[in-house]
Amino acid sequence: MSKLTRGNSKFAISGLVVFSILLAVTSAILTSCTSKEKQKSTDVIIWHWMTDREDVFNELAKRYEKQTGIVVKFETFAPSDAYRDKIRAATQGNLLPDVFSPLGDDRELAAYVKAGHIANLTKEMESGWKDRFFEKPLAYSSFFSGNQWDVEPGIYGVPIDVTSMQIYYNKGLFKEAGLDPENPPKTWPEFIEAGRKLRAAGIQPFVSGFGEGWLAGAFVSSYEWNLLGKQGVIDTIRGKLPYTDPRWVRLLGLLGEMREAGMFASGVATMVNKDAERLFATGRAAMAWNGSWGVNVYHSMNPKLNYGIMLPPRLPDAKYPLKIWGGGASSLNVNAESPNKDKAIAFLEWLTDDEQQAFLAQETRNIPANKRCCTALSPVLREFANNLDITQDRLPITEDWKVLSVKFTGMQSIVADYKTPEQVAKEIESEKKRVASAR
Amino acid sequence: MHNRSRISNLLFILPALAMFCVFSVYPFVKTFQLSAFQWDGVSKSMQFVGLNNYKDVLFNNPNFWYSMGAAGYITLLALIIQNALALLLAVLVDRGVKAQNFFRTTFFLPPVLSFIVVALVWKWIYDPNYGILNFGLTGLGMIQFQGFGWLSEAKTALTGVAVVHMWKGFGWGFIILLAGLQGIPRELYESASIDGASVWQQFKRITVPLMIPTFVVVSILTILGSMQIFDLIYGMTRGGPAGLTHVPITRIYEYMNNGEFGYATTMAVVFGLVLLIVSLVQINVSRRASQKI
Repeated sequence: MSKLTRGNSKFAISGLVVFSILLAVTSAILTSCTSKEKQKSTDVIIWHWMTDREDVFNELAKRYEKQTGIVVKFETFAPSDAYRDKIRAATQGNLLPDVFSPLGDDRELAAYVKAGHIANLTKEMESGWKDRFFEKPLAYSSFFSGNQWDVEPGIYGVPIDVTSMQIYYNKGLFKEAGLDPENPPKTWPEFIEAGRKLRAAGIQPFVSGFGEGWLAGAFVSSYEWNLLGKQGVIDTIRGKLPYTDPRWVRLLGLLGEMREAGMFASGVATMVNKDAERLFATGRAAMAWNGSWGVNVYHSMNPKLNYGIMLPPRLPDAKYPLKIWGGGASSLNVNAESPNKDKAIAFLEWLTDDEQQAFLAQETRNIPANKRCCTALSPVLREFANNLDITQDRLPITEDWKVLSVKFTGMQSIVADYKTPEQVAKEIESEKKRVASAR
Repeated sequence: MHNRSRISNLLFILPALAMFCVFSVYPFVKTFQLSAFQWDGVSKSMQFVGLNNYKDVLFNNPNFWYSMGAAGYITLLALIIQNALALLLAVLVDRGVKAQNFFRTTFFLPPVLSFIVVALVWKWIYDPNYGILNFGLTGLGMIQFQGFGWLSEAKTALTGVAVVHMWKGFGWGFIILLAGLQGIPRELYESASIDGASVWQQFKRITVPLMIPTFVVVSILTILGSMQIFDLIYGMTRGGPAGLTHVPITRIYEYMNNGEFGYATTMAVVFGLVLLIVSLVQINVSRRASQKI
């Protein structure tokens, strides 16, 4: 018995040794995954989500290495949801790369800044760097004094390129429906009428990835500025103007008007933007609400597509100017705790210089954040760039995401003919009150 | 000596115990701890809120409970239709139809496919503009289905997702039920047959009573699997249209994705408790039914 026990103990001890070795090997593999990323041969590591810019970024990194001897490695993680999750996990594990982006709203960016993960670049930007950028994207990368998150005022991000949203329209399909492709609708009634004509001609008039919610929100937001003005939008967020106000009901009702005119392509309420882009690129929808990135997407899907862009047609009786969604940028942030912080900042300064920005814009068909490089853009992109002036201003306050979620979901309900604008307005207001009471 | 034996035994289970503690016990405890805090997933500090998150989830979050209802609807359909189909096919295969192996493989094919792949394939099938379902229906003269958005219409979206979930899941039930059927001694059927029992009587008096433990397993797996549906919803509708296909896990994911980790964890705990209660009720009901029979 004692022999057996002694044998057992020996066996158990050897088992424990094997387990310890296994644990050590596993830990070594796991840590090597991270240390591999921080190997000495690489000076700056950048995590990004922009799959369409992967090759161009790599090419630019090669050029930079040739010029300076500094090795920059771009690592792509997509889709953007997965990228955000990776950034969050890396934050907890203290494994953030030298350059990254939290990819969230202002609240999220503020959380990263306040936790000391994102460097304040104001000092570097003030030495002339910021002069090369469009004003809006820089503003979207900054926090101003008195911001609602108590973040120290300053510039925290480096804009790479700018986006804004407009309506793309297929010139051929417009012609087919008897519409003038060189004179797209400029007012809301003209827009609805154009939709009716397109539908009568057997063409699906309008498509967008409203299944993603925020795209419907972005579309209606142009009219929020048009009908309520900047102060009205701010007052709503501050709770001074209820969502049940008749003007809000009217804003939500715009989607209802579009639905009644038969404007929406089939399946819009759950459609993701990739599918909406495919529908427009293949000529199955005449108009598409999409961002400036669409130029590159449509080119890759159908290089022969003949299209133009137009602003969302304004409401004829609205008091305020229509402002389009956009002005923000794909921007990158520097890890404040990185030992390679200075090298990372130097690289980003180089990346946003004229030559690199022109190359990036040309190769990826995006609007560069550097305003001096817009001459090389295609006519459509130049139009997008020119309209950056009429993009919505950065607000000092943002709506709670839960209220926005109910708002976007409500918009889908109207598109799907499931709820009336009045019902949706009540639901948004009730969520607003619920959120306020929970605080 | 006794102590040495104890120590050696403990050493044997130590690796497994360590793994269990690190990967199960610690996250479990941490989940409860996190549910009492407000935390954005980024900040270095968390704010203690006590039971406030629970109060809000339980009494002030109708969307969460609506999503629970949506998952309940999918589960109910799966329990009835999916399992009935699985049982029917299992009985047919058990009765010795030709090409049994072919059917076994075919029926088990959907469960081994990735959820996201299934979601994308079915999304394409349902697509109002390119989908083969509408193409087939309009080809058969049902012109009203031209451009019909199965997943974007409020009336059909949730059922549309449920159909895919049942298609994907019935293979599991089929395999387990088939194994249960094959475990019933053939002699029972032979003697019943000699005694003049009809096929229906044999099914009712022999198959059903002896299959109750298997039914319990299948129904619990169905409940847990259906209530926790996520990938299909995310791949097909993202909770839309109008939030009608949101289920608890997509709501939890939504909160986590928006930096409400503490609140999302509370939702997860509440959801876990609901599943536990449903499973216990299910076991209890099945046990009583078994005793009656």
